[in-house]
Amino acid sequence: MSKQIKFDSYREMPIRSMTLDNMLWNKTGSWRNVKPVYDNKVSPCILGCPAGENIQHYIQLVIDKKYKEAWETIIESNPMPAVTGRVCSHPCMGKCTRGDYDEAVNINAIERTLGDMGIDNPGWMRESEKTKKQKVAVIGSGPAGLSAAFYLARAGYSVTLYETEKALGGVLRWGIPEYRLPNCVLDGVIESILNSGPISVKTETVVGKEIKLKELEDNFDAIFIGIGLMESRKLGISNEDCEGVESGLEYLKRVNSGDNLDSSKKTVVIGGGNTAMDVARSALRKGSDVTVVYRRTQAEMPAIASEIEEAEKEGVNFRFLAAPKEIVAEGGKLSKVLFQEMELGEPDESGRRRPVPLEGKTFTMEVGRLFTAIGERADLDGFGPEVDTEWDLIKVNGEFGETNKKNIFAGGDIVTGAASVVEAVAAGRKAAEKIIRVFIGEADPPKQEETEFGIENINVDYFTKSNRTLNPRISVEEAKKGFEEILTGFDEQLLQKEVDRCFSCGVCNYCDNCWVYCPDTAIVRKDDRYEIDYDYCKGCLVCVEECPRSALSIEEEGK
Amino acid sequence: MREARIPTEELMGSGHLACQGCGATIAMRFALKALGSKTILVIPACCWAVIDGTFPHSAVDVPIFHTAFETAAVTAAGVKAGLEMRGDFETTVVAWAGDGGTFDIGLQALSGTAERNDDIIYVCYDNEAYMNTGIQRSSSTPVGAWTTTTPVTNYKTRPKKNMIDIMAAHAIPYIATASVAYPEDLIRKFKKAKAIKGTKYIQILAPCPTGWKLSPELTIWAGRKAVTSKVYPMLEITENGNKLTVWKDFEATSFKEYIKPQGRFRHLKENEIEKIGKDVESSWQRLLAREKMLASIPGLEA
Repeated sequence: MSKQIKFDSYREMPIRSMTLDNMLWNKTGSWRNVKPVYDNKVSPCILGCPAGENIQHYIQLVIDKKYKEAWETIIESNPMPAVTGRVCSHPCMGKCTRGDYDEAVNINAIERTLGDMGIDNPGWMRESEKTKKQKVAVIGSGPAGLSAAFYLARAGYSVTLYETEKALGGVLRWGIPEYRLPNCVLDGVIESILNSGPISVKTETVVGKEIKLKELEDNFDAIFIGIGLMESRKLGISNEDCEGVESGLEYLKRVNSGDNLDSSKKTVVIGGGNTAMDVARSALRKGSDVTVVYRRTQAEMPAIASEIEEAEKEGVNFRFLAAPKEIVAEGGKLSKVLFQEMELGEPDESGRRRPVPLEGKTFTMEVGRLFTAIGERADLDGFGPEVDTEWDLIKVNGEFGETNKKNIFAGGDIVTGAASVVEAVAAGRKAAEKIIRVFIGEADPPKQEETEFGIENINVDYFTKSNRTLNPRISVEEAKKGFEEILTGFDEQLLQKEVDRCFSCGVCNYCDNCWVYCPDTAIVRKDDRYEIDYDYCKGCLVCVEECPRSALSIEEEGK
Repeated sequence: MREARIPTEELMGSGHLACQGCGATIAMRFALKALGSKTILVIPACCWAVIDGTFPHSAVDVPIFHTAFETAAVTAAGVKAGLEMRGDFETTVVAWAGDGGTFDIGLQALSGTAERNDDIIYVCYDNEAYMNTGIQRSSSTPVGAWTTTTPVTNYKTRPKKNMIDIMAAHAIPYIATASVAYPEDLIRKFKKAKAIKGTKYIQILAPCPTGWKLSPELTIWAGRKAVTSKVYPMLEITENGNKLTVWKDFEATSFKEYIKPQGRFRHLKENEIEKIGKDVESSWQRLLAREKMLASIPGLEA
C-alpha cells in the first residue's frame, strides 16, 4: 500500500517530471454507493430434483473432466444414477433455465453416463465409515430400501436388508422391462450398494409373516419400511378372475424373470401410466397386437411423455375415452370385453378432468388377453396395527418418514402411493439421515431456501443457441424385435458437448468475466475464488451486469 | 479455478482516476496484458492523461511519456528512435490517444508517422467525443449524437469520420478495430501488432458512461452491441492495405437496441433512428463489398 507523496517545495521534486510511486494510496472505494457481492444461488434444476442432486455442480465437474468427483457428487444424494439416468421422469429438466432459451440440458443422459462410469469403476466408491454399534433393519429392496441401506451402511451402521423375492431390486427388477433398465445394470448398481458398507441380505423372507415386525423392533435400533406397492388394483367388474385376464405387474414380473410367454394374441392393456406402457411394449415384443385403452385422453396420461411416444412409434394402438364395463368369458376363458365410452367432465382432485360415462355408448372388442395396469396397492399384512396407516398406505409425519413409532421409519410408494423412483430414492436417503441424526442426537438441518431464478437472470449474449444432445439409440424396428436396451449413454465427446450447454444458473463457474472486465483491477483472481477489493471497487457494477449467470448480487452501501 | 482466459499479469493498477465503468481503462488493461512490461506509452492530452494519476504517481506499471495534444505519433516515433539508438530494439512503443487526439488534432502527425512507416503501435481509444474536457464533439462523434457542443436542438448531423479508410490509404502493414467487449480478440490483435515492424494502427471502441449518458454497468454491453448491431465493425487490414477481413460470425442485433440506453441519442425520433439504422446497414454492406472486392483482385496481396 503506497502513501501519497507530497512535496513541501520544488527542491524536493525530481529533476525531471517522473513517476515515483503508484496510485494505490487513492482508495477509490469511497466513490461507491452500491457494491457487488458474490452470492451463489441454488440452481433451479437442483430444486426440481426430488433427491436434490447437486446437478449444476456435477455438470461443472464434468466440464473439467473430473468424472470421479462428479459421480461422487451424485452419490451424495442418489446411490443409483445408472438407474435414475435411465428411468427417471427428470423433473430437473422441466426446471432447466435453458428450456426457456432453446432446449433444456439433457441432464438425464449426463446422469446416466456418470452412473455407468461408476459401475465401470467400482474403486470410486469410498469405504464406509468405522462400524458403529447401532443396527438397522430395512424392509424392502426397491429404490427406497436400497437408498436407505446405502446411506446407513456408508455411515457405518449395520444394515439387514429384508426382501420377499429371491433377488433384490423390487420394482426396479420386476416392474421395469429390460429395454429400459437392463438387469446387468441393476445388478451392477445393487452390487455397488452392497459393497458400500456393512449390509447383510435376507432374501425370500416376508416380514410381517415369517418374521413379525415386533421381532425386528426387539433386535434392531431402527427399522425402515420401504415395501412399495406390489399388488395391482382390481378393475372391480365381472369375470375378472377368468383365464386370460392378468395383472400387468404380474406379467412384467414374468417377462423380467425370463418366462417364455405365448403372446400371439390380440392384447388389451387397461391404464395410462408407466406400468401400462411397460406392459404394452413388452407384450408387443412378445409378438402381440396391443391396444392400450385409457379412460381419459393422452394429455391426462400419467406415463412419461417419451414412453408414450415410443410405444406409439413401435406400433402400440391407443383407444382413449373408454373403460372396461364387462368381461365376457366362454368356458372360464376370456373372449370379449364390453367397453363404456367416456367424455371428460370437471377436473377432479388430481387436477385432471374426470372421465364421465357417455350414456348408452358402448362397444365390444374381441380380446385374447387383458392386462390391468390401473394402479398398484400395498400389502400391509403384518404392518397394519403396528404402525399407523391411512388409505392403505403407511402414515408418516414430516419429510423424514417418521411413523407413529419412535424407531420405525417409512418411505417410497408405501407412503406416497404410486410415485417415481427418484422420489423413493430421496425418501430412503432422508429417512436414513434422520435415523443417523437420532442415533447421534443431532438436530434437523434448516430448510433450504428457495430462490426464484429464470431466463431473465441469464445474460444470454454469452450463449449461442443449440439443440439438446440426444442419447444415441437403436432404431424402432430394431427395438421392437426384443428386449435390447433402446437408449445408449453418451461417449466422452457427446458428454462434453452437452455439459457445455449448462448455464450454471446462479452459481459461479469461474468464467472470469467479472475479473476480466473490471475497469478498476479491483477483482482478485484467487486459486479457488474471486475476491473484490472494496478499497478500490468504485461500484460500477460491470461485473454484476456481465456475469452470465447472476452469481453476483448488489448491496446498497451503508445498509 | 480454471485456466485464465487472458494473461493474469496486471500492469494497470487500482486507484486510478477514471470514472465508474470507464471503457478506456478496460482497453488499457487488456492492451498492457497483451504487450507486457517491456512497453513505453506516449500519451497526449486525453482522458488517460488524467486517469493515470497525479504527479508523481502513476497507476500504470510501464513508463509513460506525456506529450502535447497533436504530437502522440511523432513523439512515439522519436522515443522508438531513441531506444534503437541505445540498442534497444525490443521495447514496444505505443502512442495512446483519444479520438480527439487522433481524428482531429493529432491527424497530421499520425499521417506523417504512418507515411514514414515508423515502428510504433498507434492506439486510438475511441470514446467518440472530447470526454476529458467536458464532452465536446469530435470528428469521431457519430451522427445523431448529443454532445455539449451539439445540443439536442442541433445534434450532430455529419457522420463519423472514416479514420480506418484514412489509415488504409497510408498502406501501413496493420490496421485493426477492437472493442472492450471482446478481450481475447483485442489481446490477439495487440500481440499480432507487436510482432509486425512498421506503423500499426488499432482503434478500440471504449464506451464512456459519462459522455454517452449511459449507466456505468452497461459499458461492456454497449461495446458488444456496437459490434453486433454493425455500428462498429471488427476488422483487420493487412498486406499494406490490400487485404480486409471483417468479423461476421455474430448474431446481429438492432441499431435501436444499441442506442436505447444511451442518453446521447435519447432525443432522436423514430424516423431519425430508422434513417441512421439504414445508413449503418449500408456502411456495413459497403464494407463487406470492399472485403470481397479486394479478395477478388488477382496478385494484389503483398
